[in-house]
Amino acid sequence: MTAAGSSYRRAVGSQARVVALAGAVLLVVGSVLPWARFSGFPGKMTLAGPGGARIGPLLLALVAALLLRQVPGSARAVRAASTFAFLITGLTVFFIGYSGGGADYVNAGAWVALAGALVYLLGGLGLDPSRPASSPPRSLPDAPWALPAEWLLTAGSTAVALYVFVHGLGIQSANVGRPNDVVIRGAISINALTNDGEFLAFLLLLIGLALVATRLGLLADLSAITKKHPTVFLAAGMIAATAFPFTQNGNGYALRIAASIGVFAAAAVGLNIVVGLAGLLDLGYIAFFGVGAYVAALVSGSVTSTIHTHIPFVFVIFLGAAVAGLFGILLGAPTLRLRGDYLAIVTLGFGEIFRITANNLDGNSGPSLTNGPNGVSNIPDLTIGSFSFGDNHHFLGVDLPFQANYYWLEIVVLVVVMTAFLRLSESRIGRAWVAIREDELAAAATGINTTRLKLLAFALGATLAGAAGTVDAHVVKVATPDSFTFLESALLLAAVILGGMGTVPGALVGATILYLIPEKLRFLQDLRLLVFGVVLVLIMRFRPEGLIPSSRRKREFHDDSGGADALSMPPGHGEHMA
Amino acid sequence: MQTFLQQLVNGVVLGATYGLVALGYTMVYGIVQLINFAHGEIYMLGGFGALFTYTVLLPGGTPVVLALVLMLLGGMVVSITAALLMERFAYRPLRGAPRLAPLITALGVSIFLQELVRNFYPAKSPRPFPQLVDPSHQFSLGASVEISAPRLLTVVVAVIGMVALSTFVRRSRTGRAMQATAQDPDTARLMGIDTDRIIVTAFVLGAALAAVSGLASGLQFGTVDPRMGFLTGVKAFTAAVLGGIGNISGAVLGGFTLGIVEVMATQYAPDPFSGGAWKDAWAFVVLILVLVFRPSGLLGERVAARA
Repeated sequence: MTAAGSSYRRAVGSQARVVALAGAVLLVVGSVLPWARFSGFPGKMTLAGPGGARIGPLLLALVAALLLRQVPGSARAVRAASTFAFLITGLTVFFIGYSGGGADYVNAGAWVALAGALVYLLGGLGLDPSRPASSPPRSLPDAPWALPAEWLLTAGSTAVALYVFVHGLGIQSANVGRPNDVVIRGAISINALTNDGEFLAFLLLLIGLALVATRLGLLADLSAITKKHPTVFLAAGMIAATAFPFTQNGNGYALRIAASIGVFAAAAVGLNIVVGLAGLLDLGYIAFFGVGAYVAALVSGSVTSTIHTHIPFVFVIFLGAAVAGLFGILLGAPTLRLRGDYLAIVTLGFGEIFRITANNLDGNSGPSLTNGPNGVSNIPDLTIGSFSFGDNHHFLGVDLPFQANYYWLEIVVLVVVMTAFLRLSESRIGRAWVAIREDELAAAATGINTTRLKLLAFALGATLAGAAGTVDAHVVKVATPDSFTFLESALLLAAVILGGMGTVPGALVGATILYLIPEKLRFLQDLRLLVFGVVLVLIMRFRPEGLIPSSRRKREFHDDSGGADALSMPPGHGEHMA
Repeated sequence: MQTFLQQLVNGVVLGATYGLVALGYTMVYGIVQLINFAHGEIYMLGGFGALFTYTVLLPGGTPVVLALVLMLLGGMVVSITAALLMERFAYRPLRGAPRLAPLITALGVSIFLQELVRNFYPAKSPRPFPQLVDPSHQFSLGASVEISAPRLLTVVVAVIGMVALSTFVRRSRTGRAMQATAQDPDTARLMGIDTDRIIVTAFVLGAALAAVSGLASGLQFGTVDPRMGFLTGVKAFTAAVLGGIGNISGAVLGGFTLGIVEVMATQYAPDPFSGGAWKDAWAFVVLILVLVFRPSGLLGERVAARA
C-alpha cells in the first residue's frame, strides 16, 4: 500500500511466512500460560490453560496454520489475524498491568504471548497483501451427504450466531479498576476502559475472525449455501431466537435487553421498507413509533392515562398501527411528490412537531392528553386472554422471569415485520419500489404509479412502526416525549445503514450492534454519540453498502464497469442517467 | 397595534439570524445539491469560537469594539476551519455517490461536532457569553416600539453581511464562477472554472456568515449551547426552502419571513397553541405547508423534475 510498507515487505521477503509461523507458535504457547499474578482480573487469567481474553489470541494464532497450505486469500487472512491478535494481546496485557498496579502483576505467560504476537504481526505484515482474483462461491462436492451437510451448515450458522450473542451479552463489566482513576481528556477513564476489557477483547476477536472468514471467501460460501435453503435457515433462526431465554437461567436483565433489541430491530426493519426498498429518507420515523406507543399507553388502563379506558391489547395493536398509518398517509400524501431530500426535512419536521406536541398536551400549554414531559407511566402488564405477561414461569427446569414473555412477544412482532418485508420485497410492489429508488423518472415512464407506491411504502412503514410502538409501551411501561427524539430516528436510520440497506439480516445486525455496544461498552458513556457520528461518516466513506448488503446494492457501489458511470457523474446529474 | 409592531421588530431580529445561516445552506445546495445538515453546527461553532477568543485569547480591558471585531474573527476562523475540514474529508470523497449517502454523512458530521463541543469545551452547558453590548440599552423606534442594543446590532450586521455576499456573488469573478457552477457544473468546468475551488468557496462564505450569526445570538441571549445549532440549522434550512433554495435573495427573504411568522404565530395563534412552548412547532408547520403548496419557494423558479 504505502512505500514504507512495500519496502518493509521487500526486506522481510520470503522469510515472512517463517517469521509469522514462529510468532504464532510462541503466541499459542503464551496464551495457555497464566497471564496475571492476581486473582481480580476476570476470565481465569491466573491459571494455565485457555480462558478469558486469552482465547482470542489463541484462535487467531491458529489461523497461521493456513500458511502451511497455500489457499487463495490465506496471506491476507493471516495478516488480519496477526493484526487483531496483537491488538487483543497488547490491550489485555496493558489492562492487567493497569488494574494490578504495575508490570509486576503481569505473569510470564503474558510476556511470552506479547512477544509472540509482536513477531506474528511483523511476519504477517511482511506477507503479500494483494487481493486474489475473485472466484464464485464454492459449494460442497456433489455427494449424497451434501444436502444434509448443507442443512447442518445452515442451521449451524444460526446456532453460532446465538452462541456469539449469548456469550457477548453474558460478559459482565468487571470491577478491577484502581481507585485513582486516570482520565483521558475528561471523558473516558482508563479505569472504566479496563473494566470493559474482556468485552472489548471479545469484540476485537469477532471482528478479526469475521475479517479472516471474509478474506478466505468463507462468508461468501456460507451465505450462498444458506440462500439455497431459506426455509431451513428461517426455521433454525426461529428456533435459536425462541431458545434464547432458556440460556439465561432467570437473568431478567439480559432478557429485558434482548426484548429492547427486538423492538429496535422491528422498527429498523420497518424503516428499511421505507428507506432501503423505496429509497425515501425518513428522518422522523420514531414519531410513528411514538404514536403507537402513546395510543397503547392511553388505552392501557394506566392510572396516569387521561383517558380512563381499557381496551384489550389484541385490538390496541391494530388501533395503534392504524392511527400511526393514518398519520403516515396524512403526512405523506401531500409531501411525497417532493424530491427526496425535501422529504427528509419534512419528516424531520414532523418528528419534531410530534415531540413538541406530546410535550405540550399537558393541560397547561395545550389540551390535556399526554401529561406533557412526565408522559404516561405505570402502564400495567399485558394480558391476552387469561395469560398475564407479568407472571414468572418455570419450564423444563429453567427459570423464565416475566421478561421472557415480552421477549417472545417481541420475537413474534419481529417475525411479522420481517415476513412483511420479505414478501413485499419479492413482490411486484417491491420491485416497483426498487425501480423508484433507482430512478423515479424511468420508473414513472415504465408505467409505475410512483406517487401511490411511495405513499404505500411510507404508510406501511408508519403502520409497522405504530404496531411496534404499542408493544414497546408495555415493555418499557412508560411513554414519554423524551423517548421519541430526533436522535432516536437517527439511531434507527443508522442501524439500517450500518447493517445494509434493503436486507433483513442487515437491519437485524445493525440494530443489535447499535443497541448492544453502548450497553456493554460503558466506558464510552458520554462519548458514544461522538463515536457514533464518526462511525456514520466512516461507513458512508468506506462501506456505503453496509455490513450485509443486498447483492444489487453491492454491485451498485463497487462495480467498476457497466453501472459505474451513474456514480462518476458530477453531483446533481446522476439522476438524469437513463 | 403596538404589540403587533413590537412583534414585527422581534420577528425581523429572529429572521436576521435565520437568514444569515440560511445563506450557507442555499449556496452549498445551489452548487452541489447537498443539504449540509451540519451547517447549523458551523453556526454553533462560530458562537463558541467567539467565546473562546474572548475568554482565553483576549487580555482583560480590551476596548469593546476591538474585542467584538476580534471575537468575530475568532469565530470565523473556527467556523471556516470546520467547514473546510468537513468538505474535504466528509463530503468530497462522496461526490457523485447516491444521494442518500452525503445526507447521512452530514447527519454524522452534525452529531460529531455537537458532541465534540459538548464533551471537550470546558465549563458547563449552557456557557455564559459576555454581555459586551448592554442588552438593557433600548433604542426607541417610535410608538413605544423598542429594540435592545444587541438585537439592533444583529440586524445591522446581518444586513451588512447579506449585502456584502450578494455584491460578491454578482460582481466578483469568483462570484460569477459560483453562479455558473450552480447553473451547470459540466459547462462551467469546460469554461475553465475550477469547480472544486468554487465548492470550497461556497462552504467558506457560508461558514463566515454563520459565524456572524453565532456571535450575534451569543450577544443577544447571553449564552451559547452546543445544542443550539440543531434547531437553528433546521429552521434556517426551512428559511432557505421558503425563499427558494439556491436563490441568495430568497434565503434572506425566507429568513425574515420565517422569523416574522414564527413570532406572530406565537403571539396570535388560537388559544391553547400560542406561547413559547409551541414556537418551534409552528416553524415546522410553516415548513410543511410551504413544501406542500410552493415547493419551489417564494422566489424559486420551477425546477425541472430531478427526482
